[in-house]
Amino acid sequence: MLYPLVLIALAAAPFALVARFAGRDRIAWGLALIPLAIFGLTLAQAGSVWEGGQVVERIAWVPALGLDLSFTLDGLSLLFALIITGIGTLIVGYAGHYLATDNGLGRFLAYMMLFMGAMLGLVLAGNVLTMFVFWELTSVTSYLLIGYKHDYADARRGALHSLLVTAGGGLALLVGLLLLGQAAGSYELSDILAAGDVLRAHALYPAAVVLILLGCFTKSAQIPFHFWLPGAMQAPTPASAFLHSATMVKAGVYLMARLSPALGGTALWDVTLAVVGGATMTFAAIVAMRQFDLKAMLAYTTISMLGALTMQIGLGGKYGAEGVATNILAHALYKSALFMLAGVIDHECGTRDLRRLGGLRAYMPRTMVITALALLSFGGIPVMFGFVAKELMLEAALETELGAMLSTLAVAAIAVTAGAYLITGWRLFSNTFLGQRSVAAMQQHITDPTPGMLIGPGVPAVLSLIIPLAFLGPISSLIGPASAAIYGKPLEVKLALWHGVNTALLVSLGAIAAGAVLARFGEQLANLRGWPAWMRGDMIFDRLIERTLTGATTLTRTIQEGRLRRYILLTALALLVFVGVPFVGFGISSIRFDLDPQLQFYEILAAALIPVGVIATINARTRLGAIIAVSVVGAMVALLFVLFSAPDLSLTQLLIEVLSTVFLLLVFSVLPVRFENFSAAWVRRRDAIIATAMGFLMGGLVLATATNDAFAPLAPFFLENSLEKGKGANVVNVILVDFRGFDTLGEITVLFIALLGIYGLLRLRQGKDNVAPERVTTTEPAAEPVDTKR
Amino acid sequence: MHRNELPPPNRLPSRSTPRDSALYDSLILRTVSRLMMPLLLLLSIYMLLRGHNLPGGGFIGGLLAASAIILQMVAFGPKTARRILPVNYLLLAAFGVFFGAIWGLPAMVAGLPYMQAFWLPEPIPGVGKLGTPVLFDIGVYLTVIGVTTKIALLLVEEPILFPLPAMKPSPVETEDGV
Repeated sequence: MLYPLVLIALAAAPFALVARFAGRDRIAWGLALIPLAIFGLTLAQAGSVWEGGQVVERIAWVPALGLDLSFTLDGLSLLFALIITGIGTLIVGYAGHYLATDNGLGRFLAYMMLFMGAMLGLVLAGNVLTMFVFWELTSVTSYLLIGYKHDYADARRGALHSLLVTAGGGLALLVGLLLLGQAAGSYELSDILAAGDVLRAHALYPAAVVLILLGCFTKSAQIPFHFWLPGAMQAPTPASAFLHSATMVKAGVYLMARLSPALGGTALWDVTLAVVGGATMTFAAIVAMRQFDLKAMLAYTTISMLGALTMQIGLGGKYGAEGVATNILAHALYKSALFMLAGVIDHECGTRDLRRLGGLRAYMPRTMVITALALLSFGGIPVMFGFVAKELMLEAALETELGAMLSTLAVAAIAVTAGAYLITGWRLFSNTFLGQRSVAAMQQHITDPTPGMLIGPGVPAVLSLIIPLAFLGPISSLIGPASAAIYGKPLEVKLALWHGVNTALLVSLGAIAAGAVLARFGEQLANLRGWPAWMRGDMIFDRLIERTLTGATTLTRTIQEGRLRRYILLTALALLVFVGVPFVGFGISSIRFDLDPQLQFYEILAAALIPVGVIATINARTRLGAIIAVSVVGAMVALLFVLFSAPDLSLTQLLIEVLSTVFLLLVFSVLPVRFENFSAAWVRRRDAIIATAMGFLMGGLVLATATNDAFAPLAPFFLENSLEKGKGANVVNVILVDFRGFDTLGEITVLFIALLGIYGLLRLRQGKDNVAPERVTTTEPAAEPVDTKR
Repeated sequence: MHRNELPPPNRLPSRSTPRDSALYDSLILRTVSRLMMPLLLLLSIYMLLRGHNLPGGGFIGGLLAASAIILQMVAFGPKTARRILPVNYLLLAAFGVFFGAIWGLPAMVAGLPYMQAFWLPEPIPGVGKLGTPVLFDIGVYLTVIGVTTKIALLLVEEPILFPLPAMKPSPVETEDGV
């Protein structure tokens, strides 16, 4: 029962719209029962996973392409599915409080449900193509979530950045997955994972790895694609909490972890992941330390943690696998709590700027306690779950098989990061809760929020404390299968708080001590001069978008300058190059000139009149004359159809001829009677050459098609089967509506689209003419609302 | 783009046309087209139905019907043509595509590939054998009528191309009952 889980989440989305009515907080908690139900249903199937097996389901989707919607629940999927639905439950309920005054809550929760469904589909997918579909769905739905406050320019920009970066990476990923499937001979994950040795030796391996990593790095905000994630904090806080802690950005990590047994073990994979991940982790931790916006601070720590996860996958080994699984859970718990707490503070104080907060300990004691718990876990302070996770990360760095240099670098990077986390945590805590009561706090009556709003952050924060103290055993049975899936081999996992005095503990304690000392200077560090703004990734990306658009506009203006004759010219030239050149190269030899021995003189006469009509058209002095001359061509073609016994074609040709004459007369009746020659002589000569070439090309193509033996066997089939299978004696019509009915359906669709195009062209221009000038001037763009929350 | 430099339209329909704005003002044409209209429409349906065994079919039938309507438009003007057959041709074209597409579905319900044909066992008197391809052909017929007629109407009703007297006070209404 796996795909119903995804379906429930997706199908629940429309029901979330009821949250637009009053009593939003209660409705939201009611809606939170949906993810809770999925959580329960997932947990109910966990038994077989814990016994070392997995749940597999398969629905035929496009059998002709060998494409199945297959779903698999194994240790890693289970861990992710539980995190997604568990955190999702809390966040949906929390959102009801956070957005209680927002009429769009229903829409927001609908996006959340869709996103959750996409995310569940991604982690449960048992086929890389199925996974890719859900991967793209998460990009789209997260775009909707980030751009939820679409009347703010920053929200639109953040949403667009995230979409462009992740969807761009998604394209690379698609190609990478296709290469992977080619190399492994199957798109099923189980087959790919079983084909590890074949894959690593395959010629496509490097290309597939690079493309897949490009997809994962963009999704998981690794350097140099990290910049979209801070922009994504423009989403309402509940969405940020969900995207950052449990879902979206973890998708890349999930895929890397998932594929590492198959693709890992080579220098390309391991070293790339370790280096990029380590660099991202350290860089983002230092940047996070220097932020003043609560959410920006948390966003950078998220990037840092994603780097840490990527690095651990690269470092590999038993501890690497365990570290990834444990850190994913630990991070999801404390980060969702912290984001929701940032939302609480923002919600109560109207600001999340550290410089404007302070002294809240007297007003929000409960919030302070929960924040402290979450921050302790974030800082990796002993007895918190974050500490357990960090120890494993250090073990992974110490035990890695990538050589002494990378091992040392990784340990150093982790130590620096751990220190930076402490400083970040201390700055966050002291600037918010300690010190003088700030101006912002004095301006309004600040209290703890309703208990309902504190459930969201409270549960994961408390879990961060309770799990290591009391539940390490049960959690080990959750982490174990997940680690085994990442490791690729069965693995016995026994998480422990106390490993004895070892190198990892010493490094950890050293980092804590250094962080504690440096935390006193946190504000000075934050106020140091940073990089100039133009060097920031999002600014560079903005310029990139701008340049691309300018380039596209220039190109479009060159090609589509608005004159029909230019369009025809370019179309003809393109056809001559892309069809004509290959045709001359390969197809021209298949033309045969078979002269019909029973050729009659009237047939020759009809055919000979066609070029006469063409020449007459070109040389016509008046428009009416040209129309008549063109009609001669059409009439002769119709006559030829009659002579060669094709009455259907002939009828159609004649009717079309009549109607097009009417249309031409309609249009030409408003043009001058006589043609005037505006073109220069060389233009006319050029056009004549191109037209002649086109004529020869099309004639040659028809001749080649007609005399090519490859197509001959079709006609007898139609002739024989028309009456019997098509129940009609008119073979042409039977082909049109039965044998090739699908083609005809396509053709009438094209006809209709052409009509829409003409309708748009004529009516839009009319509309433009009708718009009174004063209407344009009075409808000024709505003033940009001032975003007070930033 | 040289529109402004061109001389004024040379052969616009006469401004004093009694019927809204015929493109070609002729008593003979009006009389003939009035007589021809039902015949042409009948012929188009005949062509549509006989198409499966003899020359004809939805495409030809549709073009014939469209010609009949366009003939009205030429003889009497677009307003009258719209009044004689008060049809939204844009919707008709859309419906035609839709109608053509749905008759492929029964096969899918039966587990066969899309558009696999089904036939009634016995021919229906006056119509002939009836099956999903015939119904699909009706979709083609409707689409062709809608598209062709709508394009003609769009061109004729284009105010820049044809600044019709209908847009000014005209004696259309008074002459109508004659």
